[in-house]
Formats: sequence, structure tokens, C-alpha cells
Amino acid sequence: MRPLEVTGLGIVSPLGVGKEAFVEGLTRAGQGPCGFEGPAETFDAAAYGGIRAAQVRGFDAKTWLGDKGLRNMDRLTALTVVATKLAAQDAGLRKDGHWLALGPDRVGICASTAYGSFEAITELDRVAMLENPRYLNPAKFPNTVINSAAGYASIWEDLQALNVTVSNGNPGGLDAVLCADMHFACGRAEALLVGGAEALSEAIYVAFHQLGALVPNGAPYLPGESAARGMLLGEGAAFAVLEPPGGARARGAKAFAQIVGYGTAFEPPSSEVLIIHASSLATAQAARAALEDASMSPEQIDVVAASVSGYPALDAPELAALAEVFGPDVCVAAPKALMGETLGATGAMGMAAAIGWLGGVTPARIVRGRAPRETRAVMVVALGFHGTASAVVLRSCARGSA
Amino acid sequence: MTRRVLVTGMGIISSAGHGCKAFWESLTAGRSAVTPVEGFDTTDLGRNYASEIKDFRPRDFLTAAEARRTGRCGAFTLAAARMATVDARLGPASVPAGRLAVIIGTTMGEAKDIEGLEHAWIQKGREAVDAKIIARCGWSLLPIHVARSLGARGALLTLPGACAAGNYAIGLAADLIRTGRADVAIAGGVEIIQQLQFAGFARLGAIAPERCQPFDKNRQGLILGEGAAMLVLESEEHVIERGADAVAEFGGYGLACDAYHITRPHPEGTGTVAATRRALAEAGIDPHEVDFINAHGTGTHANDVIESKATREVFGDRPVPMSSCKSMIGHTMGASSALESVACVLTIKTGIYPPTIGYEVPDPECPVAVVANQARKGPADIVVNNSLAFGGYDAVSIFAKVGRLPPPRRLAA
Repeated sequence: MRPLEVTGLGIVSPLGVGKEAFVEGLTRAGQGPCGFEGPAETFDAAAYGGIRAAQVRGFDAKTWLGDKGLRNMDRLTALTVVATKLAAQDAGLRKDGHWLALGPDRVGICASTAYGSFEAITELDRVAMLENPRYLNPAKFPNTVINSAAGYASIWEDLQALNVTVSNGNPGGLDAVLCADMHFACGRAEALLVGGAEALSEAIYVAFHQLGALVPNGAPYLPGESAARGMLLGEGAAFAVLEPPGGARARGAKAFAQIVGYGTAFEPPSSEVLIIHASSLATAQAARAALEDASMSPEQIDVVAASVSGYPALDAPELAALAEVFGPDVCVAAPKALMGETLGATGAMGMAAAIGWLGGVTPARIVRGRAPRETRAVMVVALGFHGTASAVVLRSCARGSA
Repeated sequence: MTRRVLVTGMGIISSAGHGCKAFWESLTAGRSAVTPVEGFDTTDLGRNYASEIKDFRPRDFLTAAEARRTGRCGAFTLAAARMATVDARLGPASVPAGRLAVIIGTTMGEAKDIEGLEHAWIQKGREAVDAKIIARCGWSLLPIHVARSLGARGALLTLPGACAAGNYAIGLAADLIRTGRADVAIAGGVEIIQQLQFAGFARLGAIAPERCQPFDKNRQGLILGEGAAMLVLESEEHVIERGADAVAEFGGYGLACDAYHITRPHPEGTGTVAATRRALAEAGIDPHEVDFINAHGTGTHANDVIESKATREVFGDRPVPMSSCKSMIGHTMGASSALESVACVLTIKTGIYPPTIGYEVPDPECPVAVVANQARKGPADIVVNNSLAFGGYDAVSIFAKVGRLPPPRRLAA
């Protein structure tokens, strides 16, 4: 692919809100145990024995958006709107609700969420079942449509060029990069906010609990390690501002990283009855395809931001594939050890971590190999729960190129 | 690199019949597929009509294992996709698996499965929530079902673009082919009706009592529908290489976002106008070359007024024949622009404009050339497909007779 320039980052995460706070949190997280493993906040965790979650603690949309227009906003939308606002601001595109560069017709959004509307659907289903369908609040109905969060973001941030939601499970945040690449190639936008979001809700918790995928309360959360016993759910939103080659320079902005390659692959399970499975083969193919797309060799990748989530049946095939592609000594880091399993935001959170590392933060939590002296290129990998995998390669900008 | 994208096959599961033949016979006969709802209780909603699919048996199209892996939405998807590949004579040897992509648009995906889980949770407690059903609920599974059964290993994407999702999926699939990331793609949209959507639209005051009458002065709203439609898109080189027949060219598409209101269209239709102009530019044609518009035409007051306004803005005073399939098959939400894409291609193939039924009293606020009540023949070289959706999404696509369009626009170097 043509290298895409990263000119902004907006993030709402358990490590911090906003690029600076996030980078600080990312740095701290590398130096000691993470402080995010408290009981879930967005629903009554006590009813479930005080289960832990990686939440954006104390998050209040009002702090960032003011008082107006928040009444019918669900958590996913709030996380998305705040992250996109911070991204557009960080890139110098917008400030205080006004455009500083480019303009509404030339800027759009490509957003990933895997189960974003789950909460709204279950809430309204509940009203219909327990009370009566005629009591459904019509103002909440749009939240049941999974692209609603990105729709609200376009209203808040005046993004009119295009608006795409990808619901592709965990790889979605990386697949949003593919969409962006297509839209740039076809000249449909000059800047795109690309990333993803997921909000923790009781419905998502119950689903993953019933699947037997979660780490037992009290057990340590160890994604990518042999003693791992399950996932710890997280949430957040991250959006990078991407621009086509030369875009940043043309408007006098500075790019702080580049996205230079994308790959995706799929392998079905061997058994016809299986639905949930992770494919080592697909992971290796996606990684190789991303390297080929970037015209890079495996040795040029300093760190792999893996998708490992603590669920052994998903972690093992991923790590085996990475060892096969990169050799046994490659440095593999697990962003989910710091931010939890963020599902549809996985790829976006991985890219945010990669941007932090390329900016000089020491990669953490390392689950294989050793941290490089300098991080110049990162591959972000995301595995789906059904045999898909995608990978994206990010590189620091060569001095003077931006 | 830039390549022409051709349509070589289509499959459809609809309330007007399964398969292109049945679908087109029904549409061109102007038959309504709107009936009283049987799938769920509508007692307290004040509305009781929809275009439900009542004769779909998964085992007519799927193996036993496929039927177990899929909910109703996945089953529609796979059935339509399989039909499309048969129509395109696309076998496992026709294209390397890694060069075959699957892109699906939807809104609520397996909404009935989710509703069932919710029932179990409320009535019996969370331990009763069935992990086997949870496993098949994810939106991302729709293209994966198709890929598993039909041997695709390229990009697999679910694009939820609300009621424009079909155009989003078909458009992105074409982009993948145009930019050389795929040679062939199966792309389309799917939606099932379930009580929640029905109640939601009813509570928004958007559902008509019995009939959907797009652009009529006395229209009372939309009628919900369900279905799936899949197209096989293919690069021109690949079509020639394997000696396949193309029925139409996909000329390009235009996207825009109103950035105005989450459900209401922009009062000036700015996004719709922008998306239409972008689509025409991408296809390299002028407004006067368009022969027919397959309208979004939901039958709600706001949509039809704004769509008419935008149409006049782009096409001027020339009365471009325009029709809404939704008068017959209802609004199939995430599937609608895919079903209508099939109709567009069939218009090009047969030279027939499907009618807008229930069109009785012209509305001065909708000054467009509606093909009223009866299908008719007309020039059909270039056809426009409108879709306008929740979230202010506008997606307009263009289909044309093979050989009619100029060479595709160059991609950014």
C-alpha cells in the first residue's frame, strides 16, 4: 500500500484519556503492575462476585463534550465521540468545534466495533419483553443500529466526506485501515479518522462468561503466558488521523508515524460443527501479507503488538504463528495486558500502543523476546474468534520526511 | 492500477420470491409482497403489516451443518451467496481462494438469536444463556459463513451501514477489485425482521398501516421487509480469462454523510446531492446520461421530499424515470440497496423499469417522474441506485450496460 501518514491520535482508554495521558499511562504500565483491575463500573459487578474489568474509570462525557446532547448517548457513542474529537484536535484539523485545516467535505471516519449495539439491543429487548414494546423509547432506538456511534461522531465533528463502520470482530480496527486505504486510493477523502471502540456492558460480560472465556476472579491476568486462564474484558476507543502521502506536508502538519502495510487471511476450522476457533495458519498468512504489502522483511519488525487476550485456545495458535514468521526471538508485546480484551477496538488499541512505542515508550507487557533498544517498526496483529486474522505494519517517520 | 468491475452473478432471497427469475417476475408484475405479520406479536404496536419471508426453509439451500451454524440471517446470506455463485458459474477452480473476497452489509445481523438469548436471560437467569447460540451471533460471521462454504480466503468484511449497508458492501468490494486486492468478490446485504426493529420504527411513527406508497401525496410511511441479495463482482480481465458472461458493469459509487441528525435527513439533502455527484464523477458520466433511478423511496414523508429535492438538484428539470421497489417488497433495511442493486442490473438486462405501486396522487413536494403502478420499457444503459440511511449515511451507486462507460478513473498513485 501507499504509506499513510499518522497525524493525530485520540484515545479514551483504561490507561488514560487523550494522547499525552495515554502515553504517560503506557510508560507507567511498563514499569509496574497495572492499576486497572478493579471491579466493573458500568454495571453492578457485585451481583457477579465483584468481577474485574479494564474500564475507563470515572469517565464522564460531560468533561469533554459539555452538558448538551448527551441524554440519549450510550457509552459506546460517548467513548467514540470523545476519541474522535481528541483525534481531530490532535491532528490540528479542528479546535473548539471549528475547522482549522481541510474541511467537512474532505474528512471522514472509518470505525470498528464488534458488539457495539449489543447493549442497546438487549436494553430495548428487555423493555419489550418485561413491559410492552409500545414503551420503547424512540430516542434510544437509533443506538440499536451498530453504526450509530460513528453517525453521532460525524454529527459532533462535522465529518461529511464518508462514514464507514466495520463490524469484523477483533480484526475490525485493522480492517478499518483497509477501508481507509481504498477510500484514499479512490480520492474520496483527504483525511480519515480510523480506529475503533467498544464499551463494556452487562450483556457483553454475560455472553463471554457463558462462553467460559473469562479469567476467574482472583486469578492473575496473564495474556500470552502459559499460566493464562482467560480474558479480562476491557473497553475504550482509539482513532488515528490518517492522511495520504504528502497530505501532512501540504497542510504544514507533522506526521509522527506511517502505516505501510496491511494483510488479512482466513482459515476455517477442521470440524464442520466448530464456530469459534483461532487459526495459526491465517495469522501467519496475514502477517506475511502485511510484510509483503509493506515491502519489508520479518527482521525489520522490532516489536509485534499481539492480539493475545489470556484465552489459551486463541493465544497459543497466535504465538506459534508469530514464532514461525519472525523466529523464536522476536519481541512480542501484549497491549491487552494493559487495557484488557477490547474486542472490536483491539486493532485500534494495538495501533495506539504502537504509536506510543514508536514515539519512544518502551514496549510492554512483553510476553516473548526482549524489548528492542529502539522501536522503528511495529506489526499490530488481531485475531478473530472464527478463523480470521489481520495485521498492520506501522513505522516511525524517517527524519525529515514529514 | 485501475480495472473495470463487472457483475457476473446474482442471488436473492426475498418476499417477492427466491432467485432472480421469481423476484423479477413479481416486481415487473407490480405485485405487493406486503402481508399481515406472522413472525411476532404486534398487538400493542398499532401496526401489523410487513414484507416477511414466509417460505424460507434453510435446508432447501444449506447442508445440515451449515443450517446449524447459522441463524436466520446467516442462512439468508449463505443461500443468496450460493445462488449468486451458481449464476456466475463460479466454482472452486475459477479463482484462487485468496483472491476471492466476501463483503456483507447488514444492520442488526442475527437479531432473532440475540432476542432469544435475552429471553432466556430474563426468564431463566444468565446460566440459561446458551453458549452455542452466543457463538453464532457475531456480525463478523456473515461473510465467514459464505467463505467457509464457498471457499473464499480473501478479505472478509461486515459493513453495517444501516439502510445503506448493501451499497457500502458492494462499493467496497468493487474498490478491492479495482485496486487489485481481489479479482472476484461476493458482496451484498442481508436483514431479517424481528420485533425490536418493528417496534422501534413503529415508535418513531415511521410505519404505514398497510401500504408503502413512495412519493404519493397520501403516503403514510414505510413497510419493513427482510431478505438478502448477493452479487458476484469480478474484474474485467478475470471475466475474459475464465470466459464468463457479464450482465452489467458496476460504474462506481459516491458516499457522503449528512452530519446533521441521527435519523432525519438534512433538510436541503446536501449529503444526498454530494453522494450522487460523486458517484456520477466516479463513473465518468454526466447527469443527462442517466436513464433510470432506483430510488431509496421509503414512503416516509421526510425521505421522499428530500430525495426528490436532491434528485431535482442533480438532474435538473429533465424527468428521469424513478421508482421505488419498497412499494412492493418493503424496506429491507441493511439489505435494501443490495436487493435494489439486483433490480438495477435486471433493469439493464431486460430494459424494464419496475413500478412504484400504490402511486395515486402526485405530491407537489415530490416533483419526480415516478414510474406509476405499471412496469414499462425504456432506455436502460445507465441506472442509479440511491440509498440514504440512519446516521446521515448517503451511498449512491451506478450500474451500466457492459461497454457503455468510459474507462475507469485513475487511482491515486
